[in-house]
Amino acid sequence: MAIQLRVTQQSIAARVLAGLQNNLDRIGTLQEQLSSGRVINRPSDSPTGTVSAMQLRSERRIIQQYVRNADDGLGWLNTLDSTLTTISSQLNRVRDLTLQAMSTGAAASDEAREALAVEVDNIREALIALANSRYLDRPVFGGTTPNSVAYEMDGTYVGDNGQVWRTIADGTKIRVDVTGPEVFGTGPTQLFAVLSSIADNMRHNPAALGGDLDNLDQAITRIRTHLSDVGARANRVTNMRQIAEDRLLTLDTQLSEVESVDLPWTIMQLSLQEVAYQAALAASARVVQPSLLNFLR
Amino acid sequence: MASTFSGISTALSGLYAARRGLDVAGQNIANANTEGYSRQRLDLQAVGGSTTPAMYATDPGIGNGVAVRGVERLRDAFLESRARVEHTQSAYLAALREAYVRIEDVFAEPSDTSLQAMLADFWAGWDDVANHPGDMAARSQLVQRGAVIADGLRAAYEGLSSQWRTLRTQTEAYVRDVNESAAAVAQLNFTIKRAEAAGMEVNELADERDMHLLKLAELVGATAVWRDDGTVDVLVDGSTLVSGGIARTIEVVGADQIGDATTNPVRLRWADTHTPVTPEGTLGAMTELLGEILPGFAAALDDVAATLADTVNTLHMAGYDVDGGTGRAFFSGTTARTITVAVTEREVAVASAPGTVDGSNASKIAELAKRDDGADARYRTLVVELGVAALTVNRRAEIQERVTANVDAARLAAAGVNLDEEMISLLAHQRAYEAAARVITTLDSMLETLINRTGLVGR
Repeated sequence: MAIQLRVTQQSIAARVLAGLQNNLDRIGTLQEQLSSGRVINRPSDSPTGTVSAMQLRSERRIIQQYVRNADDGLGWLNTLDSTLTTISSQLNRVRDLTLQAMSTGAAASDEAREALAVEVDNIREALIALANSRYLDRPVFGGTTPNSVAYEMDGTYVGDNGQVWRTIADGTKIRVDVTGPEVFGTGPTQLFAVLSSIADNMRHNPAALGGDLDNLDQAITRIRTHLSDVGARANRVTNMRQIAEDRLLTLDTQLSEVESVDLPWTIMQLSLQEVAYQAALAASARVVQPSLLNFLR
Repeated sequence: MASTFSGISTALSGLYAARRGLDVAGQNIANANTEGYSRQRLDLQAVGGSTTPAMYATDPGIGNGVAVRGVERLRDAFLESRARVEHTQSAYLAALREAYVRIEDVFAEPSDTSLQAMLADFWAGWDDVANHPGDMAARSQLVQRGAVIADGLRAAYEGLSSQWRTLRTQTEAYVRDVNESAAAVAQLNFTIKRAEAAGMEVNELADERDMHLLKLAELVGATAVWRDDGTVDVLVDGSTLVSGGIARTIEVVGADQIGDATTNPVRLRWADTHTPVTPEGTLGAMTELLGEILPGFAAALDDVAATLADTVNTLHMAGYDVDGGTGRAFFSGTTARTITVAVTEREVAVASAPGTVDGSNASKIAELAKRDDGADARYRTLVVELGVAALTVNRRAEIQERVTANVDAARLAAAGVNLDEEMISLLAHQRAYEAAARVITTLDSMLETLINRTGLVGR
């Protein structure tokens, strides 16, 4: 401040006004922070803070999406899991029936063998229906087929070999489907072909059931392997989902550290500023008023 | 011996002087709050006796009263010129600061509704489509989000563009202001020169001219040079704006929309010679904003739009839509102003292979969100640059405001009216008047004694 030999009413008024303006400006800033709840209301409040806030926000949005992707993936995997479990238990029944047919062999009556064969046929149809299980209108064993089913009722595969993947973390994609050929096999050892052959042999050639049983056991093993694989994948997705949820919490904390107001501190500052403002008002009212005029007769 | 009556004229001159003193104090008090008024002071001088006495002269050596030499304007020329310099800088920064506040309002970061949030929603939309490739609702949502981004980019660009147009119009108005003030200074120069030649007081005219000089300093950074005949020459960017009674004019030429601002920059030039003028002060800020700052941010916004369109389109063209179509661009247009969504929901290329319900292409596009050189990163760079520039200008403006306020206070202290002082001056002149009147009374009664009571012995 310049050294002044002379003071005039105007210069006092100018200084007082500048001081009051400054004071009011600071109160305005603090009040904006309190009412918006944020320290950073425009980029110039803190350029680095702004960028952190923007990055944290977009990361938050990405991770929210990972959680949704994981939820969707779990939907697929859970559908696979329950379907494969049901299929696996149904196949045990088929195995029992096959063993039964083998033990009685050709000695059993035509009716008895026909009854067993009909049951196997029924189970086969039920299994084909299960293999067409759908999640959100998509056949879960059909790969990326646009068809509404994975298998025709005669057991032919009409899906494709496309795979369904879900991104559940940065750079982590997990496959959330299993195609029919992978889990049910192809060619003569394809599950539904094996079942057809079992029913057929029960009716006409019980002696050939031994070979069928081997094929059936292979199919059962394949399904169990995939069942445990699906379980492991579901487990992984669940874990990643939990990690993403935790990360969301961390991000929220970081975001609020960057841009939320420190309420007690800000309120204290505001009260201090208000006191200062009132003092300045009182002082200026006193300074500007009296002059020599008040004391001259 | 001096004349018998000489004392009376001495006292009379005292009466006159005291009355002038009261007049001046009255004028000062009346203008205590007039902007630009500088206090005035009566310049008195004692009238001496003969300085070179003639032979046999009878001068007693006592003076012959008081003479009013003039009424002086009291202001500190150094502080005035410093004030002009500081006001130039202050006006420059204030104009920049105001503009940056508006630019920051255009981008409105950080918030949950700004462009960054729109981009994040857009990428999330691709993930949703990847999860449900056959779902028309997800596709339609994605197309809408794409349209929201296009609108957001366009709105931001329009925000910059309308600010540019406002500033362009303001520049015209400021230039008109400059020309009017320059003409006023020239006119005042002329009047002052004539009045001084006629021996008249020109204090109020000079005050008015000083106000115009300050205004010119704020608007274009004009500097003033005083000449011996009482006139002032005004210089802008080294060339004469006002010389004596003649003023030149400045005009503004160049682009009238932000799109042309880089190829045909807005600039000032002398109306007569067409040589360019580099202004300071408010107009300096205006030309900088119109020529560099706003077009710069518009270009950065265009860059964000181009990057977005380019990265999304490249991947999109490699994918396949519901009906097996491929090679279609998702966005058309490569600038913030022209970018639009070019596909319908059936045409969104979600799949990597034709005829499948596959979301892997959409999933690839969703990953663009994390690219270091993607639209998000570029947009963040833009916001950082804006923030840093605005912060710098804000700080500089705050400091400059304080400096200017101090100089102004010092200037007001030197040139402003102090009421206490005027009261004292009123008192002093009143007393002087009373005393001069008393001198006349005394002389009068002395002469009464001499004329009417002397030589009456024995009458």
